[in-house]
Parts: sequence; structure tokens; C-alpha cells
Amino acid sequence: MTTSEATDASTIAEIEETIARISSHNGVEGVMIMNRQGAIVKSTLVDKEQTKTQSAELTNLTAKASNIVAFLNPDDELKFLRIRSKQREILVSPEKEYILVVIQNPNESE
Amino acid sequence: MSTSEVTDPSTIAEMEETIARISSHKGVEGVMIMNRQGAMIKSTLEDKEQTTAQSAELSNLTAKASSVVALLNPDDELKFLRIRSKQREILVSPEKEYILVVIQNPNAVE
Repeated sequence: MTTSEATDASTIAEIEETIARISSHNGVEGVMIMNRQGAIVKSTLVDKEQTKTQSAELTNLTAKASNIVAFLNPDDELKFLRIRSKQREILVSPEKEYILVVIQNPNESE
Repeated sequence: MSTSEVTDPSTIAEMEETIARISSHKGVEGVMIMNRQGAMIKSTLEDKEQTTAQSAELSNLTAKASSVVALLNPDDELKFLRIRSKQREILVSPEKEYILVVIQNPNAVE
């Protein structure tokens, strides 16, 4: 399996559409879609190196948060992760095969 | 420095008050206050063992989230962390010396 698993045309179209829709929101700085291993499937961020580092860190963080949730209750599962800092907000939405990450400036969107 | 650093009566009173106020909200399952190293200062959770393990995991996660934030921008700092699962929501509010954690059932609140 290569990193470009999303070769299905309709999947790609859906991805592009989702990213475009989210990116059009006021304050959204970037949208990333990665697989569960942390490999970037799609990213709107310009800085490629920073994107790579971030995706690795975020995947790691998502896995840790998943553990904590499972720890509290084995039947439970992580649905969403929201990291708010002074300047921005990182929203992480894990799914079965992919992780959607949105970076936004909460001050602009409010 | 021992783990029971909070000996000032007014600080303790403030802590008790905060915990009581938050616990009275509908859906709140537990409130924990720990120091940045993960040592438990106060907790309303009954299961002591689970509480200790959780606090260690959560302070670890908080540190990781802090790193991710600093990675994006060294001037930035983590303000809030929200972990939402199917059954509950863990809210983490880090401060200079302490971390406040609230575990609530989001379905009961809404």
C-alpha cells in the first residue's frame, strides 16, 4: 500500500470539495487530511516541512488522546480533539482511515 | 518540594469553591486539579487508582499539545484542550502551575 491510496476519482473529488468548503470559512488558516499513520494525503498549508512535522505530532497526539478515552472506558472512542492556544485553534477529527485537521484563527471566526 | 504544595488556606478555599461550582453543573462527572508534573492535588473522582493513572496520561497529553502549539508558533501557548469521545468530554485547562481537568457527559449537558 502506498501513501496515495485515494486514487478513486470520486474520493478525490469529495476530498477537494470538503477542503474547499472548510477553507472558505472565515479564519481558517489551513486544512490537512492525513491517514492514521501520519502521512499527509492533502494539505492546504504552504510550508511543506512544517506541515510534515505537524502532521506527525498531531497523529501522535491523536493516538494519545485515543488511549486516554479508551482508558476511561474501553467501549468509548475518540470523536474530536480541540486544541486552543492564544493565537489559533487546531481541530482534529479522527475517522476510521483518515484524520481531518483544521487550523483556524478563532478570533477571526467569532 | 512535596506534592502537597498548596498549604495556603485561602488557596485551598478557592480550590474547593471552584471544584464545587464546576461539579454542580449538570453532566459533570469529575473535576481534577493537578500540578504540571501530573501529581494529583484534588480530585472528585472516586476511583483513586484510575484517577492517578489518568492524571499522568493527561498531563503527558497536555505537554504534547503544548509542544504542537509551540511548534506552529514559538510565541503561542496552549490555552485549552477539549477531548470529545462518544460518551464523555474531557476539558483540560492548563495554567502556570496547575492543570484543571473536568470530565463531563456532554449528552447530559445539552
